[in-house]
Amino acid sequence: MASVELKALGKRFGAATAVDGVSLRIEHGQLVCLLGPSGCGKTTTLRLIAGFIEPSAGEIVVGNKILSSPARTVPPEGRNMSMIFQSYALWPHMTVAENVAYGLRIRRMDAATIAAKLKAILSTTRLDALAGRYPGELSGGQQQRVSLARALVVEPETLLLDEPLSNLDANLREEMRFEIRRLHDQYRYTTVYVTHDQAEAMTTADLIAVMNKGRIEQLGTPKEIYERPVSAFVARFIGGSNILEGKALDAERVSIGGTALRTTGRPLRAGETVAVSVRQHDVGLQTAAPAGSDNVLHATVARQVFLGGYRDYTVVLDDKTEMRATVSADNDIPPGRDVWLSLPAAKCRALMEGNTP
Amino acid sequence: MTLPRFDLSRPMIGAVVAILAVMIVLPVGWLVVYAFSDKAGNPTLANFVTLFTDPSFEDPLITTLIIAFSTSAICCVVAAPLGWLVARTDMPLARTFRVLVMASLVTPPFVGAIAWEMLAAPNSGLLNQIWRTVTGAPADEALFDIYTLTGLIFTIVCYTFPYVFILVANALDRMPGELEDASSMLGAGTWATARRITIPLALPTLLAGALIAFLQALNIFGSPAILAIPAGFHTLTTKIWSLFEFPPKPELAAATALPLLVLTVALLRAQSLVLGRRSYAVLGGKYGAPRLIRLGSLRIPAALLAMALLSLPLFLPYAALFNTAFSPISSEFVTPATFTLRNVFFTFGQLSSTMPALVNTLELATLSATVCGLLALLVSYIVARRAVRGWPVLNFLATAPLAIPGIVLGVGLFLAYTRPPLTLYGTIWILLIAFVTIELPAAYQQFRSAFHAVHPELEEAGRMLGATRVRTLWNITGPLLRASIVATWCFVFVGVIRELSAAVILFTSETKVVAVLIFDLKESGDVGAIAVLSLTIVVITAFVLALANRLGSGRDAVRLRTLA
Repeated sequence: MASVELKALGKRFGAATAVDGVSLRIEHGQLVCLLGPSGCGKTTTLRLIAGFIEPSAGEIVVGNKILSSPARTVPPEGRNMSMIFQSYALWPHMTVAENVAYGLRIRRMDAATIAAKLKAILSTTRLDALAGRYPGELSGGQQQRVSLARALVVEPETLLLDEPLSNLDANLREEMRFEIRRLHDQYRYTTVYVTHDQAEAMTTADLIAVMNKGRIEQLGTPKEIYERPVSAFVARFIGGSNILEGKALDAERVSIGGTALRTTGRPLRAGETVAVSVRQHDVGLQTAAPAGSDNVLHATVARQVFLGGYRDYTVVLDDKTEMRATVSADNDIPPGRDVWLSLPAAKCRALMEGNTP
Repeated sequence: MTLPRFDLSRPMIGAVVAILAVMIVLPVGWLVVYAFSDKAGNPTLANFVTLFTDPSFEDPLITTLIIAFSTSAICCVVAAPLGWLVARTDMPLARTFRVLVMASLVTPPFVGAIAWEMLAAPNSGLLNQIWRTVTGAPADEALFDIYTLTGLIFTIVCYTFPYVFILVANALDRMPGELEDASSMLGAGTWATARRITIPLALPTLLAGALIAFLQALNIFGSPAILAIPAGFHTLTTKIWSLFEFPPKPELAAATALPLLVLTVALLRAQSLVLGRRSYAVLGGKYGAPRLIRLGSLRIPAALLAMALLSLPLFLPYAALFNTAFSPISSEFVTPATFTLRNVFFTFGQLSSTMPALVNTLELATLSATVCGLLALLVSYIVARRAVRGWPVLNFLATAPLAIPGIVLGVGLFLAYTRPPLTLYGTIWILLIAFVTIELPAAYQQFRSAFHAVHPELEEAGRMLGATRVRTLWNITGPLLRASIVATWCFVFVGVIRELSAAVILFTSETKVVAVLIFDLKESGDVGAIAVLSLTIVVITAFVLALANRLGSGRDAVRLRTLA
């Protein structure tokens, strides 16, 4: 069993660069999500790992073997990986059982072994009753499970998932997220999971690699990525953040619209322009100025939406900057009213230089 | 509130049903009546007794079945690997090969048969002459004899396999690449994937191709008329044709045609049974483009093999046709010294029937393509969207002409329209009806698959915004189908130009078309003029197809593909 390592991986299509110097080490048994908007290079990276395309630069090492380099690429069938496709790619001319047993037949296992493994995986994925059906006769969730079973039954060293849940409805998606994690924990493959859905990444991944424009913008655990985003892109993409811009007063304070805001994240140089990220959930909202506390900004309510468990406010600072705040549903303030926002210093993250919006 | 606009769909659908009835039900009805009648018009089964007991009918029946089965099998064996090579591998010249296969379709089968006569007739055949020169064999020996059952099957295959090839190649083009990718990921190599995934998925298409090839071989009249009759045997079509020579026996001809109809209907049924409940529709969301398979060191041999195969329907026959067209003596090789334009001047200058035949042909091809295209579009729309309750009837009617050999349709039309209320015999209109009917199934199938690609929601969106059915068809579906419409128009046009079997029954001296003219010249042995006229047909067809390619495909096709 093996780790997967990408070393300065690059892929160009003509003049366009799809993947630009991606380096990433995935330990055995880890589940890593490549997360990013469409066109960020995540699917190309996955297809490079699968061996469908050849890198223009860098290499892919699995265990001690170089599987891909510009000079030589082991074909997909020689990699002992499994993949789950966005479209599931179930073969319409084969039944569920035939689809699932395909990889075992290719490996020339004897009939008894195939039957035993087939029975085991069908019961794990709760497909026993559907073994004789054709894919066209299954629902989306069932097709997804067949696709999972087909990929897992061959006990691959590495499992690749390409937006596996994007064709399912919301309820099913949630269920399948936990299903994928459960099966991963049961079998402990090295897994690479491509998605654009941050909730999917949060619930399934050990590590998240946020990708943007062909590069990995930040790599970390879901908690690290959420709590300590290094860039405005990551802060915005994960969990919704307000990005405020100001001038550094000293090593930790930033002037936002004339108010000094204490921040964490990195030491600042006095006078530099700094982007500060504050999660919408971390913003406190009061109708009266809190006495004696710092890190408070004055604003006016522009609009608010009741969303059941909470309210989503859009407020406007004195310098016309818009901010969003997610607060308790009981906190009902009509538009036009003055409010005071308290921004806990620990939650105000000064982003890396060069990240001013 | 505005008044609800008048929806044209009901009267239009009624008109379609009426037109189909006039085109198909009436001639077939008369055929059935004749088949079960004696000369005096009294009901009888005697015609069928003759058909199944008289050896002069039994032999053509068996011959026809042999031809149809072997053509179908050989076409699949040749076309499937070729389609796979072209669509799925990195074989060099794959695009060129596709174009050339299309080009070989331009050749009417009877022209191909004539060309192969020039190449492989036992004595005068050019290939046999070369063989004798090379080996020094005596003058009465021949390597090839085209006037045999094998020779006939060979020439029919030459001009039938392109249909199967195009079907297979297109199906492979459309097949989602991920289905193959999934197989590779599970450890299947190139050949295992081809054998277990690609080929089984292409099988329904291949089956459809086999069916088309079978029906083509069943219905073909020109090639057997040219090759089988001199060889002293008959197929069902030539037998039927011979029954119209004096004294005509329409009752027997009709009885001979009915088993073909039954057989074809049974075949179409069998096809849908075989496919069964396996849905071959593409499942799930977006799919990537297929990856090309690397042939490695086999690239060049594959391309050479493909090109060598193409010499049979294309390079060799055209070499023979050009040779004959520009040679003073048809059975001699033309040299720069003997090159002559005499045949060309004779055909267009002295032969008085050339110009009227050309005008008739172009007029009929244009009219038929337009009428047939509109009709097929309407019927396929009604069937694809199940717009009326009786849609299976329309589906059947539009497919039924497949089962009617052109020559039999000619007979049926002859019987139906030499009497009131519609006395059309002797006019160009009877030929128009014949051609539209013959081409309708192909056009209809083309549109049906095109409609499958246009999601009904695109139309429903239009209708929700207040457009009638007809208006939606015009504004939304039509533009989306533009590429298919242009392609179908051209297919029908080309089909009409090469049609001989119905025309040979229905023409009068006023309404002769070029195909009939060539067939007539065959009787008088004017080989030079035949070659010139054949090449003329081919040039016109090629021109139309090239034009269609420019107008129809290209940007629109790409746009449709990204939409789907």
